[in-house]
Amino acid sequence: MNENDKLEILKDILFDDGHKFEEKISKRVKNLEETLNQRKKLSGKVNPLIEQQINEFKESIPGTLGPVITETLREEIKYRKDEVVDALYPIMGKMVKKYVAQEMQLLQERIDNQLSFLTRWKRKLRSIFSGKKEEDLIIDDLATAKIEQVLLIEKDSGILKASFSKSNTMDEEMVSGMLTAIKSFVEDAFNQRNQNLESIEYELYQIHLQSFATHYIAVVISGNFVTSAKNKLQDVIFNFYNRFMAMNLDLVFDSENANKKVSTIGKPRIERELKKHFGNAKI
Amino acid sequence: MQKSKKIVVLGHFGVGKTSLIRRFVTDTFSDNYKVTIGVHITKKIVELSVDNKMSLILWDLEGTDDVDSIREAYLLGTHGLVFVFDVTRPSTFEHLNADLETVSKKVPNTPLLVVGNKSDLVDGVELDAVLNENSLTVDFVTSAKTGNAVNDLFVKMATLLD
Repeated sequence: MNENDKLEILKDILFDDGHKFEEKISKRVKNLEETLNQRKKLSGKVNPLIEQQINEFKESIPGTLGPVITETLREEIKYRKDEVVDALYPIMGKMVKKYVAQEMQLLQERIDNQLSFLTRWKRKLRSIFSGKKEEDLIIDDLATAKIEQVLLIEKDSGILKASFSKSNTMDEEMVSGMLTAIKSFVEDAFNQRNQNLESIEYELYQIHLQSFATHYIAVVISGNFVTSAKNKLQDVIFNFYNRFMAMNLDLVFDSENANKKVSTIGKPRIERELKKHFGNAKI
Repeated sequence: MQKSKKIVVLGHFGVGKTSLIRRFVTDTFSDNYKVTIGVHITKKIVELSVDNKMSLILWDLEGTDDVDSIREAYLLGTHGLVFVFDVTRPSTFEHLNADLETVSKKVPNTPLLVVGNKSDLVDGVELDAVLNENSLTVDFVTSAKTGNAVNDLFVKMATLLD
């Protein structure tokens, strides 16, 4: 075997193996390409169907899953009280804390009233030194809080939903927007989006703000707005809001009526309710 | 029934947001520049037809060079957006597309009108050059000073929201 023969054998070995290897690779690439193309073709056909199915599923949720969800929630609350309490604790905790603080303040006010013996003597002395009649001083002391204006406002947009006012004030829609901006600023500035601004005071007036999930109520009050008055006002607000919620089907999830057309109530009707609840309310 | 809509007007510092609103609401103009701090709210009722009125509650946000830093709380519940830039100051429109993208992400699915203001300070040829060179697509070119197209802008927004 000469040099040329050896070279030929080496060439055969090298090229033959290389050729087979190349063939193998190209086969695999071809397979991959086919799989990819098929997938693209398939996804083009299948995706719209999946999308349609998802949309149909979404639309049918209130009718089909609504009652199941309600029932499941009911079961969960019934049998897994501890877990439910855990989940609700941060919200309930805040509410209870606020309630206790308010009640304590109320108690303090009552104790103060019990010490009226001292108050009476103080008033007598004040009357002597100021020259003002004692009756007038009593009236001054008892200047009760009065509701001047009530605004029902959409929480996010600041759009005024309805209002009730005893006197003409500046544009209520602008006031609602500005109150919402102030509220948003304060809550955002202190990174407390889960807490709410509750009151704004200015000289003779105070604006009490009561926040709910989608709306808040701003009540402008004049006079002596003590804790007992705040308590009474909150009762009036809650009564009104319950009524307002009941009037708005869109705010209450009712599985039985899920397929019914949502009816929104008009401004005049809400304003009638506002007048009814706040017009003669004594706080 | 009269509807109420929240319109937020935003853009960089000194582009004339407050002047545009003032021209629209009170039909006045002042050369005195006062910086808006926080937000200023005004209102105007637009009559779209005899029986169809819309109350536009205009939220004039303070100017910012970084649109991303706008307080999100001010944008909640927005029905329509007006983004204003100054046609004479490139710094207010050189990142316009990115700014608009940021705004659209913050307030998705909301009508947005893009406005080039202070058109009284440039002539028609210059204005076209500015818009073409910077590939700017604008809905309105306005002048709060002369009142040019200001009313049209807000009426267009009201029509979009009707």
